[in-house]
Amino acid sequence: MGGWGVEYMEVKVLFFGVLTEVSGTAVKHYQDVRSVGELRLRIQDDFPEIFHYNFRIAVNGEITDNDLLFKTGDEVALLPPFAGG
Amino acid sequence: MKTIYLTDGAIPNELISGMIGNLKKKTDSGGHMFFLGQVRADEAEGKRVSAIEYSAYPEMVQAEAEKIKNEILKEFTDVRSVDIVHSNGLVKTGEISLAVLVAAGHRQQAFEACSKTVELIKAHLPVWKKEIYEDDTHIWK
Repeated sequence: MGGWGVEYMEVKVLFFGVLTEVSGTAVKHYQDVRSVGELRLRIQDDFPEIFHYNFRIAVNGEITDNDLLFKTGDEVALLPPFAGG
Repeated sequence: MKTIYLTDGAIPNELISGMIGNLKKKTDSGGHMFFLGQVRADEAEGKRVSAIEYSAYPEMVQAEAEKIKNEILKEFTDVRSVDIVHSNGLVKTGEISLAVLVAAGHRQQAFEACSKTVELIKAHLPVWKKEIYEDDTHIWK
């Protein structure tokens, strides 16, 4: 942590739908990630197979893009296409 | 009071009749539209669906369902209330997994608003389904 506003956070990542099955996990914590884009790369290292599936990323319940910077305690969700009803 | 949008397993008849019972209090409404979604015994490659296992992101379901309700109430000025209940967990074929009840002053907006509510649910509610077949195999939908 310095004076540049760059902080390395821990974020909680939730896997949903088919991604739970493909990754074999429902929740995983990641440390030292700054942005959604960076997290995406870390997840790709751990679970390359989930990138064969279509999904969006939400941070604290809002769909977001790669540029978003994390705050402490952010909850990230990997959301395959919704299939309710 | 926090409205509950997810129910564990199939939506029981008691809950459905309770929703209808509550309409008695809405004496400013004259037309109600009730949509019930039921788990269908679809067939694929000679296998028949026996159940659907739903899963959800409950906090986001809460927020999105509120947004859907507010959008409907804003667009349809004759609509007095919108009730939404969706199943989470296992629901067998023939059981109910979605209930939407729209109360309106008159029938026209009740029809339209109910239809739009169901479409918005399908597009925006973070719910997923795993179709389970009679041979215990499954497919994510």
